[in-house]
Amino acid sequence: MSLFTTATIAAGRLLPGSEEIPFDDKGYITPDPIFPPLKELVPGTLASIIVFSLLVWKAGPIIKKSLADRTARIQKELDDSAAAKVAAQDEAARIRQAQGDIDSERSRLYAEAEAQAEAVLADGRARLAAEIAELEARAEADIASAAGRGTDELRAEIAKHSGFAVDAIVRDTLDGAAQQELIENFIARVGASQGVAS
Amino acid sequence: MSGDAMIEGYARALFEVARAEGTLDEVEDELFRFARSYESSDSLRNVLTDEHIPAEKRQAIVEDLLGGKTTTTTIQLVSMVVGSGHSRDIPAIVDSLVARASSAKQLDVAEVRTAVELTDDQRARLKAALENATGKSINLKTIVDPSVVGGVVATIGDTVIDDTVRTRIEQLKSRL
Repeated sequence: MSLFTTATIAAGRLLPGSEEIPFDDKGYITPDPIFPPLKELVPGTLASIIVFSLLVWKAGPIIKKSLADRTARIQKELDDSAAAKVAAQDEAARIRQAQGDIDSERSRLYAEAEAQAEAVLADGRARLAAEIAELEARAEADIASAAGRGTDELRAEIAKHSGFAVDAIVRDTLDGAAQQELIENFIARVGASQGVAS
Repeated sequence: MSGDAMIEGYARALFEVARAEGTLDEVEDELFRFARSYESSDSLRNVLTDEHIPAEKRQAIVEDLLGGKTTTTTIQLVSMVVGSGHSRDIPAIVDSLVARASSAKQLDVAEVRTAVELTDDQRARLKAALENATGKSINLKTIVDPSVVGGVVATIGDTVIDDTVRTRIEQLKSRL
């Protein structure tokens, strides 16, 4: 026999009129499958009212408080969410502001870099122009020097060849008679001079 | 013995030998010519100063070179200097000898360089001309030196009388 069956049997024995309810080893057999017998319905209803009243009396405030707390918690979460939304919107605004600042900073840096590049370029152009002018001046000086040197070398070369030519011509033209004439002239000239050495 | 003392010693010895032989003028002149040839000839200088050639062979070369052209005294004197290993000092020894001989005769040495050989007449007239010009008695030493090209250059002590074509050419080159 199950526990439920045992409890039902015990309840039927305790409740008044329960002996009038058909009973077998499987439990009570009611004539109406929906409503219990009147003798069970009245005490059952009263017991239910009492139980529910007790529940309303004792558990109601607790349940109400729990619901109120839950409502407050939900409201708080809603408020927090709203606050978070506002904060997120503020943050988004700040980010947009920062992005705007970054764009302007970038533009400023671009402008500054461009100005510096322009200055460097201008300085480079000026320096390059100065170097070119210096190189040109140096090249002109070198050309002038080389021209002068070339002239000097040419003059020296001409002098050297002229010397060789004179030497060769003189040697060719100095025959025996010329040699003797030079010697005789020397003797005559020295003989005519006096007091050459003391 | 220092170099100068050695040169003076050899010069005095050569002088005394030549004077004792009675050929001082001739030997002096021959030695002078040989010294100038020695100075102007690289091959002769190299042969006579080459230590790898035995002294006897160098003396034989001297004898072959001068034999029949100079007096025996000159050959012997040069051979003696070469044999003693003082070939390098021949010009200095001979110059000292000439100076000593000229001093003994109270003459001043006049070194005359020409491109061609002088005749005896030219030598005599040149000697007289130099004596007239300097007022000194001259011991004339003539050297044939092709490098003078033409004309004459005479050196008497510190005095140089230069009328050579070489000098004129050099002057012309300098002006060029």
